[in-house]
Amino acid sequence: MTGARTVTDGSYVGAVNASFDDPPRRPDEGGRTVSFEDLVTAATIGLSRKPLAITGLDGPAAGCAGALDAGDQAAALLDAAALMTAAGRGGFQPEHVVSGQPMVSGQPIIGPPPSPEDAAPELSPRAERALRQLGGAQLAPGFAAGDKELLADLLAAASDAGYVASAPLLPDLLDAAVRTVSLRPAVTAVLGVRGRWLAGQRPDWQRIVDAGAVPMTAPSNDPELWRTGTRAERHAHLTSERERDPDAGRELLAADWARLPGDERAILLAVLRHRLSADDEDFLDAALDDRAEAVRAVARRLLTLLPGSGFVQRATDRATAVVRLERHGQRPWLNARLPGDPDAAAIRDGVDARPPSPAIGIGAWRLTQFIAAVPLSGWSALLGLPASDIVGLPVAEKLRLDVHAGWRLAAVSQRSGEWAEALLAVGDPEDGDNRPPAAWPDDQRLAAALPPSTRAARAAALLAETKLTPGPAAANQAIAEVGGVPIPWPGGLADAVLAVLGRAASLAALPRLPRGLLDLAARGLPATGGRDYAAELTRLADARPQTWTPLVRKTAETILLRRAFLEEIR
Amino acid sequence: MSVGSTSLIAMPARWSADRVLDLAPDESSRRSAGALGRPARWQGVGVAGDVLWGLCAGSGKNPYQVAVDLSGPAYKCSCPSRKFPCKHALGLLLNWANGSVPEESTPADFAAAWLADRRARAEKAEKSVVRTDPGDSQSPAVPGTVKDQAAAARRVQQRAQRVANGLAELQSWLRDQVLVGLSATPTATSAAPSATASARGHADEIAARMVDAQAPGVAAVLRGLSEIPGSGEGWPGRLLGEYAQLHLLARAHQRLGGLPPDLAATVRSRIGYPTSRQDVLARQSVTDYWVVLGVRDLLDGQVPGRRLWLRGRDSGRWAMLLTFAAPGGAGGAGGWQDPDTARLRPGTELHASLHYYPGQPALRATVGERHAQPARAERPPAAGDAAALLAGYATGLEQDPWLTVWPALLTGTPVPPDGGRPGDRWRLVDPGGVALPLAGRESLWTLLAVSGGYPVTVAGEWHPGGLLPLAVWHRDRAVAL
Repeated sequence: MTGARTVTDGSYVGAVNASFDDPPRRPDEGGRTVSFEDLVTAATIGLSRKPLAITGLDGPAAGCAGALDAGDQAAALLDAAALMTAAGRGGFQPEHVVSGQPMVSGQPIIGPPPSPEDAAPELSPRAERALRQLGGAQLAPGFAAGDKELLADLLAAASDAGYVASAPLLPDLLDAAVRTVSLRPAVTAVLGVRGRWLAGQRPDWQRIVDAGAVPMTAPSNDPELWRTGTRAERHAHLTSERERDPDAGRELLAADWARLPGDERAILLAVLRHRLSADDEDFLDAALDDRAEAVRAVARRLLTLLPGSGFVQRATDRATAVVRLERHGQRPWLNARLPGDPDAAAIRDGVDARPPSPAIGIGAWRLTQFIAAVPLSGWSALLGLPASDIVGLPVAEKLRLDVHAGWRLAAVSQRSGEWAEALLAVGDPEDGDNRPPAAWPDDQRLAAALPPSTRAARAAALLAETKLTPGPAAANQAIAEVGGVPIPWPGGLADAVLAVLGRAASLAALPRLPRGLLDLAARGLPATGGRDYAAELTRLADARPQTWTPLVRKTAETILLRRAFLEEIR
Repeated sequence: MSVGSTSLIAMPARWSADRVLDLAPDESSRRSAGALGRPARWQGVGVAGDVLWGLCAGSGKNPYQVAVDLSGPAYKCSCPSRKFPCKHALGLLLNWANGSVPEESTPADFAAAWLADRRARAEKAEKSVVRTDPGDSQSPAVPGTVKDQAAAARRVQQRAQRVANGLAELQSWLRDQVLVGLSATPTATSAAPSATASARGHADEIAARMVDAQAPGVAAVLRGLSEIPGSGEGWPGRLLGEYAQLHLLARAHQRLGGLPPDLAATVRSRIGYPTSRQDVLARQSVTDYWVVLGVRDLLDGQVPGRRLWLRGRDSGRWAMLLTFAAPGGAGGAGGWQDPDTARLRPGTELHASLHYYPGQPALRATVGERHAQPARAERPPAAGDAAALLAGYATGLEQDPWLTVWPALLTGTPVPPDGGRPGDRWRLVDPGGVALPLAGRESLWTLLAVSGGYPVTVAGEWHPGGLLPLAVWHRDRAVAL
């Protein structure tokens, strides 16, 4: 080792010797040759308790033993320690690793095999910087405070554009996914080949990748995957099988149905939503008898989508038995009566015996369920009227609430924009009469079923007619309405939000409504497109500085960073 | 467009728009500068020699007066923004970059006044010595009359005497430690490191005496010793090693006159004799394209500091730059004594003349003249292997026995510990199969992510027993770890 040679060469010794006095006479007999450990032991005990006379030194420093202080044992020990410390540092012997494994580009490998190449492009350094600034505390350590939803938005955008995270970002993203459950899908989507390889090096990261139902980049045709793979792999395999051949997919699931755990049965059954057809009816009908409620719920949902199925026929029969359109002179009205006890078939089809709240009558709850079970498209056929007219019909005898509850539940579970719109338009004067959410979806939940553009228009209209400082309930409702619109907002809503902020510009303290909107605006206002919202916000902030102006500037800065990121993944 | 007037003042070459935009402190300034980069918003613009000026219509009643000194660069604007440079300065520079600023023979009044003011302040600053570290000289290095020189000589002698006395006391203290026994060191017997007990280490008192004896370097080492007794297995060996090094330093000082000059300079520097930056700047410089390879924040001392490792492309020489936090500043966010140096990041290439401090081996340097703006280096200088690194350190030790950190630039593959084997550590394996232990924690995962199992170029610091990686090259940029 070079260091050792240097010491015995004398050139190193020269430097050390130059610091010492001239070599003195030899110490007394009875001394010994010591190693560094001997020196440490002696020093720890204390020379006053147990003296140590040094005549020689182990190792590379042996040649310098003559330089030790002769008169003073303590000084001699320190001298010796100095020599041996330096020798040890200069003579460090590293490990030599045995290569017994395949070579890659001429280098022997030990440790994990290297990651395969990834064809997908990496985020550019500018995008990485923007992401770190926005991701903030989620990508700790050492970054500004950020927002996990914002981070998830950007990662999703990157993944949709076909990009993967750049290598230096991967450890921070994986750590963020471990800490924050809601970030996991977004992070796993941008891991790419290198990210998955990296996750394989640490058990906590590997768990994230395993648990996520990640769509594989290439469809897997490997039957082994179905038998021995992870949940994510089974899901992916079933999905690709189902796409390839719907019947084969269903049969694959049916074959192993019994051995799968309940929650996985529900998840995999939902895969049959792809390429659903009447051929699936028998299997789904059998699933109505499953032990797990989650599975039964999925089966019911899927069967509702098959108009020719026995399930739908039974539901329609039950409903038409208790609801009838009647004409009172010119005006039509809806006659309804409370149903009797449900039979076994009805219970199997999912009719609950017990209402969710004691305030609701048993019969009324049955009526609601019967109505909710029918596919909404069926009503227009049955009654010969469009949805908007049907919901406007007067209903018999205090049963209006129950009938509308049924339609609302159907609109939410069947995600019918048309019926949601109609029901919202007609509204409900009693606002559900304090029924629990399971029995009465409120306007908010109905609005979630609207198509995004309708929802945005609705929210914009609401903002236009709301005062700047309404009561807390109205303000919260408006904020919730706007918050429910998928981001980024269409132009109409964005303009409406900006208008509200503009109206608040002259106030010294920011009221609840604009404050809530400002919080949402960082994610909601479009970063790209015709109107430059960041510039408008900055103009707003510059025009009339208030104490809350820094918040506006921060929002503008966030939008600019989002824009920088989106430009990099175009 | 140039007005065509023959200007006798040498014009600096026009910057590109990209270079101007790179100066922007944040995205919104960059955007606003774009808007202000058009001539429509400006009046009374001109450039003469190094100074650029103009008036920009703002939201206030009077237009803002904006001036830029291109030699700095330095900016002046009467707008209320706190950013440097503000969007008006950037807009003015963009106008100049696009060629819409006419050359004039004399600057506008407000620009001329500002420039004169700046020049006066700069001259005053040069006269006084800039403190770049706590060890720097407090007295001016400019020699005055014969009487001043005699006084200076007397001071130097007094200092040497004080240091000698102090070190003698240190040696006797060290002997006592070894005689009484290291096991008697306070906090050694208590199992847990005391957190709530007073923060005084066992060597704090002798450290204070060293400060009195004008040996601050020794004092700093002593203060660092208080951590060792609680640091876990093997601590007596580590403590003995530190004591031995101090003992060696004290003995070296005794023979200072008889040592070769460079070794003597090293000894003085380690003890803490001040060196004025002016004296260093007077020494011969090395001009090269210096690539910043690693930056390390030093948070353990009394004053936060930052250490940068640079390597010259042509000369292959290493240089270490040190800067410390300005008094009253925490070090971060601009509170540095030398902000231009503190801002340098790994992967930057600096075309400059560096002046080395006296001592051997030549590592510590200070930046003299800069010949160009810092640019991004697209590839690192040629990297070595583990054997070259260890040989380099050993050679350094020959010259400075107290050397505990050595710069590293090598190719290697990081290997995480294998969970199955106990006591396994991270290692960096070079192409020859030599494995060096790796220090650091979170940063090692970033290193592994960038490497992907393939060899990468790593820059860092070698300490006895381990390599601390500071940066790794990923494609065409350096990633700080």
